[in-house]
This record gives sequence, C-alpha cells and structure tokens, in this order.
Amino acid sequence: MLKALIVDDEQHCIDRLERLLRSSTHNIQIIALCKTIGEAKKEIAKITPDILFLDVQLGNETGFDLLSQLNSIDFEVIFTTSYDKYALKAIKFSALDYLLKPIDNTELDNALQKLRQQKSLKEASKKIDVLFHNFKESNASSKRIAIPTVEGFTMIDTKEIIRFQSDANYTHIHTLSRKKITVSKTIKYFEDILDENMFFRVHKSHLVNLGYIKTYTKGKGGHITLSDGIQIEVAVRRKDELLKILRT
Amino acid sequence: MPRPTKNKYCIILICLVHFFGTSQQNKLDSLKNELQTHTLKDTIRAGMLIELASEMTYSEPNEGFSFIEEAITISKKNGWIKGEALAQRQKGNLYYVLADNLNALDAYQQALSLSRKIPDKQLESSILSNLGNIHADLKEYDRALENYRAYLETSQAMGNRAEEIKALSNIAIIYNDTENFKEGVSYLNKALELAKQEENDLFIAAVTNNLALAYKNLGEHQKALDHYKEAVAIAQKIDNKYIEASALNSIGKINVLLKNYTVAETNANKALTLSKEIGAMEWEADSWEVLSKVHEQNGKMAEAMNAYKKHIQLRDSVLNEEKKSELTRKEMQFEMERQQAVANEEIKRQQLVKNIYLIGAILLVLLAIFGYYIYKRRRDELEKKKNAEFNAKVSETELKALRSQMNPHFIFNSLNSISDFISKNDIQQADDYLVKFSRLTRAILENSEKKSITLNEDLELMELYMQIEAIRLENKLHHKITIDQDIEPNNTLVPPLILQPFIENSIWHGIAPKKGDGHIAIKIEKEGDMLKYVVDDNGVGQPKKNMREKKSNGSFGIKITKSRIDILSHIKNKKGSINLMDKPEGVRVEITLPLELQF
Repeated sequence: MLKALIVDDEQHCIDRLERLLRSSTHNIQIIALCKTIGEAKKEIAKITPDILFLDVQLGNETGFDLLSQLNSIDFEVIFTTSYDKYALKAIKFSALDYLLKPIDNTELDNALQKLRQQKSLKEASKKIDVLFHNFKESNASSKRIAIPTVEGFTMIDTKEIIRFQSDANYTHIHTLSRKKITVSKTIKYFEDILDENMFFRVHKSHLVNLGYIKTYTKGKGGHITLSDGIQIEVAVRRKDELLKILRT
Repeated sequence: MPRPTKNKYCIILICLVHFFGTSQQNKLDSLKNELQTHTLKDTIRAGMLIELASEMTYSEPNEGFSFIEEAITISKKNGWIKGEALAQRQKGNLYYVLADNLNALDAYQQALSLSRKIPDKQLESSILSNLGNIHADLKEYDRALENYRAYLETSQAMGNRAEEIKALSNIAIIYNDTENFKEGVSYLNKALELAKQEENDLFIAAVTNNLALAYKNLGEHQKALDHYKEAVAIAQKIDNKYIEASALNSIGKINVLLKNYTVAETNANKALTLSKEIGAMEWEADSWEVLSKVHEQNGKMAEAMNAYKKHIQLRDSVLNEEKKSELTRKEMQFEMERQQAVANEEIKRQQLVKNIYLIGAILLVLLAIFGYYIYKRRRDELEKKKNAEFNAKVSETELKALRSQMNPHFIFNSLNSISDFISKNDIQQADDYLVKFSRLTRAILENSEKKSITLNEDLELMELYMQIEAIRLENKLHHKITIDQDIEPNNTLVPPLILQPFIENSIWHGIAPKKGDGHIAIKIEKEGDMLKYVVDDNGVGQPKKNMREKKSNGSFGIKITKSRIDILSHIKNKKGSINLMDKPEGVRVEITLPLELQF
C-alpha cells in the first residue's frame, strides 16, 4: 500500500487523477488532495507520503517551488503537466517521471509500474538535486544530467561529456575523465533533451560536445578531431550545418 | 676544266712578279745572319723578319710563320701599323701558298683594314689584288670581281699604271672564266693599250698571250695566232721562257686545229725544249699532246703513242698536284661550311629558345585568363548560391506561415468530430477519444515548429490520427501502412503532416458516406531521389455530377498542402507532384517529394 498525495490547482484535474488511481490495479491509497503549496507542505509534513503527484504550474507558483521549500525529500515525485516544453526538458534531464494531461490510463499504469521497480528512495532525492542544480545554474553549459544505469543513476555535468556514441538501442557516453558509461537509451533521446548549442549530431551514431572539437578536416563529409584525440566522421548531410555552427 | 686552270697560271705568272723578285738562297742566308746580329726588337728587325718570311714563301712557307708572328708582335709594340699590315699580308701569302684560303683571307682582311688606317694606297691595292685572286680560286667570281675593281680604282687613283694593267688583266680573266669572252677581250685590250704606253714588254707579252687565248675561245683562230706570234716575239725579246713556251704551245694547238701539222710540230718542239728548260710540266704535257696528234696524222703511230704516253704521264702528275690542292681547297670549304652550319645551328637554337619563351608567355597569359574565368565562375556560383539561400529563407518563412495556418483548421475539424462523438457515444469512449486527441494535438503543436521530422515520427502521427478517426467512425475504418524496404524511416526526413489532408479527405468524403467498412492503404516508396506516398481508399470516390461540388472537393487543407509541396520543390530544385485519380472503387492519391535524408 502506497500513500499518495495529489497537488493541483484545478479541481477537475484532481478529480480525474483520483478517479484513475482508484480504478487502478495498483494498491494506492490517496491520503490528501492539495490545491496550494502551503497546503501541500503541511500535508507532506503530516502524512509523509510515498508518492507525490505534482502539477508543474500552480497558479503563480510552480511545483518546483514546493520541492525547494522542503528540508528533505523521501518520496517519489511524478510531475503532471498539460504543456510546458521547458519544464518537461528539465524533468527529463533529472530523469524524473511525468504524466501529460489529460492523463492517459495506460501511461499512469506504466509510471506506477516503473515506480515499484525503483530500488530506493535515495535516487529520488538525487534526481531532485539535479533538477535544482539545473534551475539555479543559469549557465546552459554546466547543466547536470541524470543518467539511468544498471545500478541506478549517475549524475554528470554536461560539460564533462565529450561525446555520445550510438550502438543500436544503447548509447555509450564518453567523458572527460576517460570513463565510458553505457545507457539503454537511444542517441536521439539525448539529442532531444540536450541543448543544441552545446551538442551537435555530426553523424547517425555520433553526438559530440561542440566545445571539445579541436579541428575539422576537409573531405567528402570530412572528419573532426576531439580533444581526446578521437577522430569522428562527419556525415555529408551534416557538414554544412556543422561548419555554420563552428564558424560562429 | 682544264681551261680556267691554265688561265690561272697566267694570273700567277703576273702576281708572282709582284710577290718576289728573284729567289736566291744566298739572300736568305744573308738575311738570317743579319737577324742574328740585330737582336733589338725594333722596326728594323720587324722589317727584316717580313723580308725573310717573304723570301721563304716558295721555298719553305711553313718556316715563315714564326718570323711573321714575331714581326707582328714587334710592330704592334712599336705602333708601326704599316709593318703590321705588311706582316699580315705576308702571312696571307704564306697561307695562300699552302692553299689555306680561309686563313689567307683572314690575314689579308686584317692587312687591308690596317692599310686603310695608315693610309697606304699601294699596299691596299696589292692586298685587294690578292683577295681577288683567292676569291677567283674559290670560284667566287662576284667577290673576285669586286676586289679586282677596288684594286683597279686604287691603282688608278695612285696613277700606278703597272698595277692598273694587272687589275684590268685580272678582271678580264674573270670574264673569260665566266665565259664572257667579249667583255674579257675588251678589258685585255685596255690593259694592252696601257702596257704599250708604258712600254712594259713583260706586261705586253703576258697580256697579248691572254688576248690570244680569248680570241681562240671566241673561235677567231687567225686573230689568236697573230697575237700568239706577237707574244712569242716579245717574250723572246725579254727572254721570258714561260710566256714563250705557253704561247708556242698554243700556236701548235691552233695549227693542229687548222691541220697545219708541220707548223704545229715545229712550234710544239720549240715549246717542249723551252718547257724542259724551265721545268714547266704542264706546258711540256701540252707540247707532247700536240706532237702526239701531229705524229698520228703523219702515220707515225709508234711515235704518236710514245708522245701520248708522255703527255698522259705529265698531265697526270700535274693533275695530281692540282688534285692535292683541290682537295685542300675542298677541305677548307668544307670547314667553312661546317662553321657556317654550326653558326646556323646556334641561330636556330636561339630562335628555339626565343620561341619557347614566347610560347611560355602565351601559355601564362592563357592560364591567367583561364584562372580568371574559373575564379569568376566560382564567384558567380557563390553569388547564385547566396541568392538561392535567400530565396530558400523566404520560402521557408512562407512554409512556416502555411503550417501554422493548417493546424487550427485541423484542430477545429477534430473538435467538431469530438462534439459529434460525444453526442452519439458513451462517456468512457469519449474520454478515450479525448486523451488520444490531446496527445495528437500536443504532437502537432510540437512538430509544426519543425520544417521536417523523421518519417517514423510522421507516420506515428498519422497512425494516431487514423485511430482517432476510427473511433469516431465506430471502427468501420481500417488502415494499413507499408514502407518500402529500401527506405529507412528513422533517417528519412519529411515535412510534418503532409498526408493528413488527403487521409482526412478519404475518410470524410470516401469512407464515411460508404455503407460497410472502409479501408485506407498508405504505401511509401522510393523512386530515384524522390519519395512517393500512395494513399488508396475504397470509398465512394470523388463526386462527379456536380461541377461546383467537385471544385469544393479540394479542401482548404489540400490547397495548403499543394502550396507546401510547390515551395519545397522550389527549395530543393526538384519537381514534386500531387495526383488524384479515380478508381473503379475509391480514389488514389500519389504524392512525390524530394527525398531527404538526415545523415
């Protein structure tokens, strides 16, 4: 039995989620329903929930504000949002879970399924740290990213990453400290969430940090040499765009 | 060519008189003694050296050069130009005797310019005469004449009659050699006149002898005989056996021609005796020839044979001598030609070098022009590319405008169908529908910002769209998407939602009005560098009866899509197309687009 708390400023959203959770096959007990950050803080202190369904946009405030006001986070967080590109990007960066409104029954089911497989609550706290770091850090190049691995999660500064290399449905991440991390995510996943001013997909299987490109050598598509000495082929169709970016 | 050779002997006869008087061994010895006592290197010694070399001309010409070189050095040192000129002329004489015409010419030319510097007309005229002789020897008659004429002029200027006579005679000989006998006769007559005025019997004899030969050549035998006889008389008077022998022989020959064999024999015998006396082999040979013919006529065959043999022997030895000098002359000529050839070769080489430079320069200019042309073309191309890029930007802006126009249209159509759905179905299905619709809307919102998405993503959207429409049509809509094997859906970029208006058309104008289930088949194929969508439905087809209806059939969405494809074709410079076709059952739409790959 998991204790759940729903925070949303719109009643119909609370109603819909509540209805879906009640009809769910997962054993969820809804403890409280809150409409403001203040209410939520009190409830969290009182009932110590296992899951927090948190709306991103809460009137003039955000769900992130609520989290930042808490001393410790020892529960799982699932964000709910209707449409917020930037918030979603941040959430994905921290590998936190989210549901898009109107919430689909199947997706809710998947989220709860994933939650049950979570090893410990420590991971949640770590992910939220990453989220806060990225919010505080205005500098786009020093964002932190939560990488899901077999053991759990690894948090890496994006400026630590030299390049991503695709290997079918896996991606190898090569870091400055010469570590190679293998993740079961496609290279496209990283391409989508990472800042396009910082990382560039030079090839079907290569996503590189623009800051570490040492030289570009001419050729049909040409190739680039990275600061760790590795040479990477540039796809013919990516050449023009790469050169445009490198020039500016 | 025996005739010119004989004539030349006559010239030499005259010239030798000038070169040296009497050659005496004791004079040579006394000169040598004097030289040994007079060792001071002054003009006196130089003069003696020249005289010594001059004495050696015919006896030992090869020994003469060392004395001449010393004379030249001393003269130069003392600034004695005449001495230098005399020495050079003597050097020429030595070479001439040795039949080295080339070096002889060289030395004479030096002597000539030196003599003109002094100036010394007498010396000049003698050198001109020698130059004329050499050119005559080389059969360069024009140059010989040139020199002889100059010789004649200087002699006349000096008032030296003897030289003038020699010049006139030599000119006449050249005319005879070139078979211009009349001209020759005229010059000889002038010479003879002068000689008579001078009362110089040697010259009278020599010129008369030559004149006789000229008449003989003209076929005037009597005149020739008269002149020969006169020459003989004068020669006897001055005791010149050379001229006498030569003239007697000639008389003999003419008499043979006139068949006066006895007279011929007498003359020939006289000539023979004289020739033997002076050791002149050629004239001896001539005498024997005449005698042989006379004996033959007299029937004394043995004597004739004997005379003929002697004639041949002597002639052969003379000819051998001549051949030797001829050979030397030929060698000289060959050497001269060789040098000329070398010079020509050098000129040719320089011409070639010049040509190569010229060709190089032309090539360079051509290269420069070509380079400029390439540069210009490249620049124009860049300009063109820039223009194209600008146009593309304009087109993309237009495209963006079109995309944002389309979305509200689609959204409102969908909202309409939601309303329609809710009024007909239960709440659970309405909710299902709504969730799907919100997902689709979100995806459309996100993708409408992009100019292209992967085929995979686009087809997911289409799938979602058709699921929604299927719910609305109470599941009487079935669909199937087929992708060609040589298409990579993840690497192929397409403009988002290009198919949607056509699918919508098929659903609402084809399948919705139809009784029973409808089917939509979407096929994606590759055609060269184009991507082809084929949408088949088995609906009721396009309405045909009413023209107005048909017109309105092209929905707003389809019109926008047509514009999008036109602009895309313009940007990619490849012609895309849309084709709507009626089938027995339903409609087929074919859309081709430029194939674009991500990587």
